Amino acid sequence: MATTTDTVRVTIDGIPISVPKGTLVIEAARRVGVMIPHFCYHPKLKPDANCRMCLVEIEKMPKLQTSCSTVATEGMSIRTATTVVHDAHKSVLEFILANHPLDCPVCDQGGKCDLQDFSHQYTATTSRFAETKRIFQKEYFSPLIETEMNRCVQCLRCVRYCDEVMDVKALAPVGRGTMTEIKSFGDHPLDCEFCGGCVQICPVGAFTSRLSMYEYRPWMLKRADTVCNFCGDGCQITVQTKDQQLIEVNSAQGAGRNNGDLCARGFFGFHATSHPSRITAPLIRRNGALVEVTWEEALLLVAEQTNRLKQAHGPQAFGGLISGRCTNEELYLFQKFMRLTIGTNNLDSSARYGHLNGVQAMKRVQGTHRWTVAFEDIVQADVLLLVGTNITETNPITGLQVKEAVKKHDATLLTIEALQPAVGTISNITNLSQQHLSVAPAQFGAAVLGLLKAVIEESHVEGTLQQRASDYVASVTQAVRQISWDELAQSTGASRESFAQMASSVAKGRRVVVLAGQTLLRSHGGYGICLNLLDLLLLTGKLTDSGCGFAPLAEENNDQGAVEMGAVAELLPGALDLTNQDARAQMARAWKEEVPLAPGATLLEMIDRAQAGTIKALFVVGENPVGSLPPQTKVTEALSKLEFLVCQELFLTKTALLAHVVLPAASAMEKAGTFTNTEGHVQSVRPAINPVGDSRPDWEILSAFSVFLNSPLEYGDAKEILKEIRSVVPGYGSLGPTPIPPSVDRATVERYLTEGYRRDLATRYTLPTRTKPPEGTIQLGLTQSLFHSGKLSTHSKGLVQIEPSGLLQMNPLDAARFDIVTGDRVSLSNSGGEYTTTAKVLDRVPEGLAWFPDHFAQEALHLFHCAIDPETKVPSYRTASVSVRKRT
Amino acid sequence: MPKHELILLKNMMQPGYTGSLQDYERAGGYQALRKVVGKVPPAEVTTTVMKSGLRGRGGAGFPTGVKWGFLPKDYQGPRYLCCNADESEPGTFKDRQLIERDPHQILEGILLACYAIGAESAYIYIRGEFVLGARILESAIAEARTAGYIGANILDSGTTANVWVHRGAGAYICGEETALLESLEGKRGLPRVKPPFPATHGLYNKPTVVNNVETLANLPHIISRGPEWFSAIGSPPKSTGTRIFCVSGHVKRPGNYEVPMGVTFRELIYQEAGGMRSDKPIKAFIPGGASAPFLTPDSLDVKLDFESVAAAGSMLGSGGVTVMEEGTDMVWAALRLMEFFYHESCGKCSPCREGSSWLVQTMRRIVAKRGQMEDLETLVDLCKNIAGRTVCAFGDAEISPIMSTLKHWRPEYVRLIHEAEAANLITLKRPVARP
Amino acid sequence: MLKEKYGSEIAEILSHYPVRRSALIPLLYLAQQDEGYVSEAAMKEIAQMLRLTPPQVYEAATFYTMLNLKPVGKFHLQICKSLMCALVGADVVIGWVKAKLGIGPGETTADGLFTLSTVECLAACGTAPMMQVNEDYYERLTEEKFDRILADLKKDGICSLKTGPFMWPEPITVKRET
Repeated sequence: MATTTDTVRVTIDGIPISVPKGTLVIEAARRVGVMIPHFCYHPKLKPDANCRMCLVEIEKMPKLQTSCSTVATEGMSIRTATTVVHDAHKSVLEFILANHPLDCPVCDQGGKCDLQDFSHQYTATTSRFAETKRIFQKEYFSPLIETEMNRCVQCLRCVRYCDEVMDVKALAPVGRGTMTEIKSFGDHPLDCEFCGGCVQICPVGAFTSRLSMYEYRPWMLKRADTVCNFCGDGCQITVQTKDQQLIEVNSAQGAGRNNGDLCARGFFGFHATSHPSRITAPLIRRNGALVEVTWEEALLLVAEQTNRLKQAHGPQAFGGLISGRCTNEELYLFQKFMRLTIGTNNLDSSARYGHLNGVQAMKRVQGTHRWTVAFEDIVQADVLLLVGTNITETNPITGLQVKEAVKKHDATLLTIEALQPAVGTISNITNLSQQHLSVAPAQFGAAVLGLLKAVIEESHVEGTLQQRASDYVASVTQAVRQISWDELAQSTGASRESFAQMASSVAKGRRVVVLAGQTLLRSHGGYGICLNLLDLLLLTGKLTDSGCGFAPLAEENNDQGAVEMGAVAELLPGALDLTNQDARAQMARAWKEEVPLAPGATLLEMIDRAQAGTIKALFVVGENPVGSLPPQTKVTEALSKLEFLVCQELFLTKTALLAHVVLPAASAMEKAGTFTNTEGHVQSVRPAINPVGDSRPDWEILSAFSVFLNSPLEYGDAKEILKEIRSVVPGYGSLGPTPIPPSVDRATVERYLTEGYRRDLATRYTLPTRTKPPEGTIQLGLTQSLFHSGKLSTHSKGLVQIEPSGLLQMNPLDAARFDIVTGDRVSLSNSGGEYTTTAKVLDRVPEGLAWFPDHFAQEALHLFHCAIDPETKVPSYRTASVSVRKRT
Repeated sequence: MPKHELILLKNMMQPGYTGSLQDYERAGGYQALRKVVGKVPPAEVTTTVMKSGLRGRGGAGFPTGVKWGFLPKDYQGPRYLCCNADESEPGTFKDRQLIERDPHQILEGILLACYAIGAESAYIYIRGEFVLGARILESAIAEARTAGYIGANILDSGTTANVWVHRGAGAYICGEETALLESLEGKRGLPRVKPPFPATHGLYNKPTVVNNVETLANLPHIISRGPEWFSAIGSPPKSTGTRIFCVSGHVKRPGNYEVPMGVTFRELIYQEAGGMRSDKPIKAFIPGGASAPFLTPDSLDVKLDFESVAAAGSMLGSGGVTVMEEGTDMVWAALRLMEFFYHESCGKCSPCREGSSWLVQTMRRIVAKRGQMEDLETLVDLCKNIAGRTVCAFGDAEISPIMSTLKHWRPEYVRLIHEAEAANLITLKRPVARP
Repeated sequence: MLKEKYGSEIAEILSHYPVRRSALIPLLYLAQQDEGYVSEAAMKEIAQMLRLTPPQVYEAATFYTMLNLKPVGKFHLQICKSLMCALVGADVVIGWVKAKLGIGPGETTADGLFTLSTVECLAACGTAPMMQVNEDYYERLTEEKFDRILADLKKDGICSLKTGPFMWPEPITVKRET
């Protein structure tokens, strides 16, 4: 890939420097420490050269040139600080300031404003502008984003960001000349992804956040660099506070894996932490009601009950559930507490809801529990295959990598999604697809099988594989032969030609990345489909190539960490199997005690045992099974039967309302620790404010339990826990800026290819059942919304303004069939019961499907039925067939 | 009786000429196309045009053949030709005459150009106000298509050439070639940063040539009668051929006059256009549309060619010659043109956007007798700050009226300011910042 | 709905361009032809047809002067006020409108018949002063002609004084007001 001359030599203000070919002059200058003033230039955007602020002198060019649009060429000599250049900067500033209002005293940008900074640097203290400044009428723009167009310098960064980076195109420069203003559509308020990108990128105070309007000046704020706790992308955020109040969250340009970009949740969701209904004191159930008590009282009760039940029924009468929102330190301590202090492997985390499907598939085939690629590989990929992700809503920042790959580097995007291309108010990844198959979640498996069949039949199987693993290839070939193209067409709506074309694209790619999302991972058969996707990469010879890989997307911010810390029944820290002798020995050395041998119960198994009465006590840390699982699992009954239920929580959830003890936990903004994002990259979490009320970080609570139970697991701070983690998982969390993805383990692959593939090949290469939907029904699916994450975000006053409640999203054709328009009340029913909600007609929903956001679905769960994967024990309950009736 | 041989306006001057395909062919039309398509290698057509010395007639005056030569040679893919019929430069109305009276002459030129550069699609970007012109062109295209001059396999040569009319919607800036392309792509007509140039990254980022209507209208004649014939006319070697000059203002016979380049302003104004309309003598004239600096009667003997007018301190521009008689208020004239530029500024770059607003407001104030002496300094300073600092030439254009009228008729500005001071109407007294 | 009414015209327009977005101005003209101005509903429909967002259509529609986002009178009087017309009396013509119809630039008569706009150069500087009414040019205006035009338009909706194709130069007398 190296060319003969990849660099050019230029001189900037007499300083020589070598830069890669294609570098812009303004970037070259930055490398030698020369900051050329600019407004419209931004490294993430195509140069627009409209502000004319970055003018410089370039030898042999008669006119001053804009350094943001001039590419450095060999031998160029640039001067950025001559009198001519200085006067040019001053004159451009004078023009920009001509119509700029004297708003500094009331402008939120004051103190962090490019225009202020440059004015200070360049202009005299008086202005000779004696004419009338142009005025725009102040208009309400949106609940979260405020515009003050008088301040706009028409750099168009906001418009370009929304178009080039986000692919949303919600902002428009309207009018002409000096009366150009940025609006959305007519007088309508802004309706977009609310990623806050325009607010962050605006160099002046034309775009500001309404959440923290007029509340502060930048120099009053304290800053904490930490990691967002909403989704698995793990964005670096800067939380700004004043007097222990959360004021604002943003992300510095170039920071973190997100490169300074955020989504609505990260940017506007932080008020979840400061919601008034946070539990701030320990609670004990007395006479049927939860009353506030002291920590001492609460901990004593926990110790008393735990000891009593342990003596009477043994350690297997206990179970534990922890949320994938907790830090690695907390997850590690939790499983240590359950395994050592309590003495059981009955423990599980939210990774069970779907993430484990992806991880177990990776472990089985390629011997890693992490991705073998990173975000950079997604950006550099030439072929991206997305299966069941709805990535722009679930993992928007990973989605940005995909968008960048397609828009800036012409990657071929192939999508198999329960989604169809449509231009709407938020971005839609399938709009960028070169080839898209719109498939219901129940048929994802069929689509992947179609792809595999095409790979086999169009001779895309990698040459040496045929020889090395002839049995494997033969078995797979035989398996796909049993499936006919007709059946596939009926299941997926896609023809043989479509599959052949997709297979050909995959085979031709040199850097192929397959992303699997929650819609797939949480669906029935998700584990098997992940294995099939890994087969796809194996057969086409991509799995072991650099820049290629399989990437399951984590839903919660630390689901990956939950797996890596062994916060699931079958894994130990390092994601090693419980039964692995070496792993057990290592743990024994570190803990000075043996890890219990009896296999532990997973989430649904614990519920069943509670129902049966064999599990009598449950420690629940941040999880809410009553609010998340369908009643068909009898979860409420089961938990009500428990003799002792302890919850560590931020809010009184449905589960916490059943508890005997509720302990106030500190949120991610109030504690230190680490999160591991979906890439497997470990990042530091730092507290921005002190724990609210009497809340404590979860690890402190667990540690306190252990002390009161006389088997102390004591740590001075979270760092000590990390140190211990490092002693059992060598090098964990090297905490560098970029992840170092592991390589595929060849030995594991070999084992898979010779023996490992056999045991479930037949089941996973069988077409999923296809039932004709009865008249008057549609497939209802629980989905994640861009504006929410779990139930946590429903406490965020910012996000609730964009999406206050759940709406049933339906396709226009289905809506017409049921005579429904947006706003109509709709009744959904099946054998599980009935649920009434409001409809919203949306083009991107495929015909035959309807979506309901799971953040608001607590009262609709009775419509769903749980099926459990026999190998991974993942419960899937996200789809149900329901009849639809308009309520008049 | 025109003194000079008419080339472009020749057909339409014949009594009874309707501009139909029949009339055009009867007058010898499409012979050049027949001579070339499928018979002469495209590169040779380009060389012919280069030899003729034809320069763009839209305003910039760039050598046409050289422009065509910038297209990438070994590129496989679509190329486009855009005919710039967005005539919006105040004082210019030659393209409208060519379009409405002899559309096929332009079509033949377009087809020749398409052939030379290898473009299969041509778009005539015609300003939205030319509704009649657009209709006439569409009807001519339909005629030409029926006759086999437009479409797939024109004249059985295997070449494809499609011509479409695309109406603009009212924006002077879309006459700038890159803004034209942006508008044609369905976006706001904002000029692009150059480089890259349309020759390599034009319409839809493909190699594109943008040529003015009059430029294209010359092509059939150059092909038919040869480049040597063309280059002998006018002021060779730099300004060859004829040009249609649009005379407007205080003359007896305002209108279009096709003369060879090199004719003097005096001849154009007094002989072709009949001289001043009344006994008032000439006071000032603009040689090349609103973007060209004003000239005084001292320049009447300057030759109408690119170099001579540039040497006189102005530009040949679009060929719009506007004549002003004694008694014309030059400050008012400059303001009127500034209003035009303020209205048409696209708003992309800071100096032009803010500068045009500032300049027009100051000028309004001066004309309304509320000016100050400092304003004159400010005007010059602002103009200097705009020149050369903008994305496109609009910035240099918008300062021409003020700079040139200040240069030649400063006393008129001063008088207005003195009148303001005398009437004690000044309400602004503020410190003036020295830059 | 534009698609129902003008399906074949729309298909024809789209066939001219390899990239759909180029059809934006032609479609906006179609909408304006249909309703007299470009409505929000039309912009939304066009956005859907061209796979754009409504803001993208809106930003283009507001850039160009000939696309009206609000209804105008039946006869849109567009009088050129550029210097070349102004030198020979364009301001006087604008004054006639004020005197005879009582409206200034940007205003519409009470009966909704006439809207006045002052516009920039219409490329008829040799036949100035002049104006464009809806699609037609009316050049070499005198007060007499102007009165006749207004009367004809009011009565019949058309006027035979409309000019075009391009008029030849004629000698002009000097008695015209400046």
